[in-house]
Amino acid sequence: MDTVVRVEHLNKEYRLGVIGNGSLYRDIQSWIAKIRHKEDPWTEIGAESRVGRRGRFMALDDVSFEVGRGERLGIVGRNGAGKSTLLKIMSQITAPTGGCIKIRGKIASLLEVGTGFHPELTGRENIYLNGAILGMHKSEIDKKFDEIVAFSEIGGEFIDTPVKRYSSGMFVRLAFAVAAHLESDILIADEVLAVGDSRFQEKSLGAMKAASENQGRTILFVSHGMGALKQLCQKGILLEHGRLIDAGPMDDIATKYEKLLQGA
Amino acid sequence: MALEKGKGEDWDLVITPKNKLLWLDIKEIVQYKDLLFLLIRRDFVSVYKQTILGPLWFVFQPIVSTIMYMFVFGSIAKMGTDGIPQPLFYFTGNMLWTFFSNTLTKCQDTFNANAGLFGKVYFPRFTIPISYTVNSFFTFLIQFAFLTIFYVFYLISGTAVTPTWWIFLTPVLILQTALLGMGIGILISALTTKYRDLRQLVSFGLGILMYATPVVYPLSNVPGQWKLLFYLNPMTPVFEMFRYAFLGKGMHNIWMWSASLIATLLIFWLGVVTFNHNEKTFIDVI
Repeated sequence: MDTVVRVEHLNKEYRLGVIGNGSLYRDIQSWIAKIRHKEDPWTEIGAESRVGRRGRFMALDDVSFEVGRGERLGIVGRNGAGKSTLLKIMSQITAPTGGCIKIRGKIASLLEVGTGFHPELTGRENIYLNGAILGMHKSEIDKKFDEIVAFSEIGGEFIDTPVKRYSSGMFVRLAFAVAAHLESDILIADEVLAVGDSRFQEKSLGAMKAASENQGRTILFVSHGMGALKQLCQKGILLEHGRLIDAGPMDDIATKYEKLLQGA
Repeated sequence: MALEKGKGEDWDLVITPKNKLLWLDIKEIVQYKDLLFLLIRRDFVSVYKQTILGPLWFVFQPIVSTIMYMFVFGSIAKMGTDGIPQPLFYFTGNMLWTFFSNTLTKCQDTFNANAGLFGKVYFPRFTIPISYTVNSFFTFLIQFAFLTIFYVFYLISGTAVTPTWWIFLTPVLILQTALLGMGIGILISALTTKYRDLRQLVSFGLGILMYATPVVYPLSNVPGQWKLLFYLNPMTPVFEMFRYAFLGKGMHNIWMWSASLIATLLIFWLGVVTFNHNEKTFIDVI
């Protein structure tokens, strides 16, 4: 099968506390240490454990996998296992500290529903703005505008109302409708279905699955809802402490994940 | 992260640890031009939605400032204006300064104001400072149109204002102001994600800088021994030449100007490099 995503030995390391302090004082300490050819107190790697002696933290540790065209991959793991970090690197929001990701085709990521929505703007204006933020061209949105509105189930009379007057349900439906109509070869989605009522969730899952089956779209999906994962994805990978510990058919991965949860 | 196309295998995108961009990825920004237009529109529209005066705010503020300047600096402090009518002198100064400081203030907040957005979706981050700059430019244009009206009135009534051929350099001066405001702005925006206290310095620093720039007084009022210090400020020639172009009084030294142009480009480039460097790491820092 045609590989569209290849993740090779991906690492992401965070320095706990050091950057968070935003302290010029410590940076000056580092500079002085450098000038005097001494060990920089803030760049030593603690090798024994995940959180090293010097406050290093490996959010992702040597993760490698591949995804083929049209595949739907579920990414599971407990809180803090590195799922979101992985998606963030893939979406080019943050840079890895080691390894690389190779991608073929246009990538669209949906890490949160409704990012970039502006409360003062109307539903119509927000569709265009949000679509553009997600990488769509105006002409694409023009073409799909009616479809988006229909999918969101927002009545035509509300589309020219500022979204700050929308109910939270309407807001979420509109936001998801825009994202669901993205034209991309690869879609990355993080917990986006935690919003909306169960009927709308069902509909959204269906739309994602249909796009994958009919247009060969590849989907990388993070969720804690095993039901949605099993319904959508064929394959899965399991992350734990930043390491990829298992990969295989989604059903097996879901079982292993549940075992892991009980064991903890 | 470097975006390398077609190296070895035919990958469209390769995500690696380092971002080696030393200049703007103009191709990518052009790709997102629709987003840029919408961002500009969004900021412009949302400013005057649910306000009484609407777009009139854009001229109300400089008129009031001009009147205040005439009163404080003209009547009380009795600072000269090189024989230029006070309303024209102060309005011009205020207009240019507002453009510069608005651009800088908006741009320096790029990362902080958009942290939520930047943390969730990728698009060329540089579209944000560009949209801010274009927005302040619109405000400037409205004020400039207003200035033109009463400038023409002064010309017709035969007051001592004489436009010079330098008027054709105005677009370059405006561009220089924009690049300088944006350059310093994005430079600070990249630094503030790490050192928060720099933000406090910005409004303070701008206040000081305004008095160190010939905004409310002409450079000819400055005693000789201090002039050299003023030449070090790249904004000085902009104000002086803008006034010379329209009002016929002011410093117009092509060498001084060239030096300030070079300084502007350097600052802008430095801003771009710092911005690019910060773009991919700031989300872990903020």
